[in-house]
Amino acid sequence: MNENHAGQDAGHDVGRYMGVSMQETEALRIVGHAAVAPHLLGPAGGVRTGALLTMIDNVGGLNGGLAALPDGWVVSTNLAARVVALTHTGPLRLDSRVLRRGRNNVVTTVQVHDEGAGDALVASGVLTSAILVPENGPPQWSRPLVLDAKAGLSPDRHLPPIVDWLGVRPVGADAVEIDLAPELRNPWGILHGGVVATLVDVAAEHATGGGLTTDVVLHYLAPNRVGPVRAHARLLGERSDGRVLRVEVRDEGADRTTAIAIATCRAR
Amino acid sequence: MTVAYPPDNHLLRDLRFSFEHDHEGLRSRAWMPVVPELCTDLGHARAGALATLVDVIGGGLAASAAAPGWIATADLTLHLVRAARPGSVVEARGEVLRAGRTTVVIEVGLVDEHDAPIGLATMSFAVLPRRDTNPEVATIRQSASTMALPESRLQRPLLEELGVQVRDAARGEIDVPVVEWALNSMGAMQGGVVATVAEVAAETALRAAANEPLVVNDLYVTYLGFGKVGPVRSVVEVLATGTGHGSARVELVDAGAENRAMTVVHAVATRGLE
Repeated sequence: MNENHAGQDAGHDVGRYMGVSMQETEALRIVGHAAVAPHLLGPAGGVRTGALLTMIDNVGGLNGGLAALPDGWVVSTNLAARVVALTHTGPLRLDSRVLRRGRNNVVTTVQVHDEGAGDALVASGVLTSAILVPENGPPQWSRPLVLDAKAGLSPDRHLPPIVDWLGVRPVGADAVEIDLAPELRNPWGILHGGVVATLVDVAAEHATGGGLTTDVVLHYLAPNRVGPVRAHARLLGERSDGRVLRVEVRDEGADRTTAIAIATCRAR
Repeated sequence: MTVAYPPDNHLLRDLRFSFEHDHEGLRSRAWMPVVPELCTDLGHARAGALATLVDVIGGGLAASAAAPGWIATADLTLHLVRAARPGSVVEARGEVLRAGRTTVVIEVGLVDEHDAPIGLATMSFAVLPRRDTNPEVATIRQSASTMALPESRLQRPLLEELGVQVRDAARGEIDVPVVEWALNSMGAMQGGVVATVAEVAAETALRAAANEPLVVNDLYVTYLGFGKVGPVRSVVEVLATGTGHGSARVELVDAGAENRAMTVVHAVATRGLE
């Protein structure tokens, strides 16, 4: 499971890399903004689908966490998004609302719009999170919450392309793999859920010989703690909107399946 | 109190499901005969009908895995890649992927008689404390291998049986009553039926937007609340249309319960499957 626990300094490299600023605009609503930065671009020219999923996880997860207070904080259990625009101008606006706050889970929706392209819809996503009580209690925040993506960053920073930053390497014709580098971990020391989503995206692209991922449904089953972490894609079938694949993510060092996903890839 | 579910005259009997469970309750198989009453006008089984099969096998497995606790369905996803035609039998193979303290995750593969994949589905469930009114898991696991009674069968097309009424095709606004024939064990519209309502709403709006006979092949259903009063009403936002495909976001509310939010669904429609 992907554990979202923002508000502490360690384990936030993935969030910084994505560069999403977030603001609590009203109760149960978070609005994020992100640039269409060169290091996030994918093969279609816009922000890579895996990066969009990571942003959705960041914004939806924070909103779900705030909704869970004061009882606890959240861990992502399911992440799904349909990407309808693969080229983007930016900035992107991520608008998250809480659909349901239950006794032990929170459901948030995240709509992504391209403000530089007439506010066109980019993606529509849903994040479901389980409410848990962290060992040291839930994080403390000043409300309404404001998180600046640029805070603490050097203005002349140069960030490598996302696939290079993650250290993705192909394994045969239908799998990709990464090591569990420190900067890819979240505050609990496990692989960030957005990185898992990006790995699913890249595995689907790799297995289809360069297809463009447009749709992902991802279930987090267990944390990735050891590594390497491998995503293996298997073709289920082909339709008029692309190829449908099942992607299984495994923590090879722990010898267990940590996530499964179903992805749709459109031909380039 | 243990409740008898489903009643004799019920959708789950009329769909003529049959089941086979393993002894540990971690895997199940189920079968559904495809009849014309379950099919779209393109001649293959509706995504909603297959979602109902998934919902039943997934719910049984999850209840087993969560015992002695009980479960609430959080979401259901379905991706279809091949048509299930009338006269064939769809086999669902369910497996528990995760059985944790708070969540259970199930995967269900759908195949035809030749073992060729028709689609893949997943479900996740929140684990809840048991109530007296929840069915006993032992009842589920030790029940007969079929829900069908000798006289069980659909008398009319599924959408007619459900009483689907289109209010505004272009906007995907439809109304569906909450009827005893299609209730779940909690007295609300059954989860697969909810998926069917969303499927029909998305299909109606996407056909109008794309001006071609698309059918829904992907569903991502997020369950928010029960539909107990009715009518269940849909609102559709068409996300995109392209050549041969389209996607939509569907919201279902219980109009008779002050428009209580029931479900959010993302649906993808394509041209007919092979």
